[in-house]
Amino acid sequence: MGSDRLSNKVRRLRFDNGELTQQQLADKVGVTRQTIIAIESGRYSPSLPLAFKLARAFGVSIEDVFKFENEHYGTK
Amino acid sequence: MSNLQKSAWFNLVGVTVLGMIGAAAILFMARMNTKGVEYVLICIFVPVLASPGLYIYCRKKSIESRFDERERVIHSRSLMVAAFGLTIFLACVCMLPFFVLGGQNVIKVYYLPLIFFSALFIAQFVHSAAILVMCALEDDDG
Repeated sequence: MGSDRLSNKVRRLRFDNGELTQQQLADKVGVTRQTIIAIESGRYSPSLPLAFKLARAFGVSIEDVFKFENEHYGTK
Repeated sequence: MSNLQKSAWFNLVGVTVLGMIGAAAILFMARMNTKGVEYVLICIFVPVLASPGLYIYCRKKSIESRFDERERVIHSRSLMVAAFGLTIFLACVCMLPFFVLGGQNVIKVYYLPLIFFSALFIAQFVHSAAILVMCALEDDDG
């Protein structure tokens, strides 16, 4: 089935949205700053509700924030 | 420091202190050779001894309710580590005397509550230590 990889543009979107700090984003979506750090560095894959919250915090769709990569299913 | 780390440190210190008090109490009772009805008197003092434990438990629960989803993942992983640690501890404590002393030997009864409280202590200790190690590893990666 190939290995799954979830990359994201959270850091890029933070800077595009008025240089939002990690703490400000964390407060907006209701998690800790450590969780935002872990998501940005790809060490933690957020749940679907949190992924939606992040996308809505930036005013974009979920696929504009996260990219799913898999050898079998390709990149979306 | 996140709520998870605060809770782990709180737990680690609280459990260590209460574990030492509990072990001292059991050793004291074992020396007095208390049995049967005499435990009624001890039961009167148990709520007094348990009150700091209850306070720690309630405080920990209120902190845990503020965990976010990543902290809950770390929390549940550390619970698995604690269960593994507890299994290893119980296997060692119950099986080693059997192999070392042989099946026909006897052990003193006060070892039983000591083993029980030690098991609780080990589980809580490993749980808190695992949380702190996992958080430290994540911080190192970042």
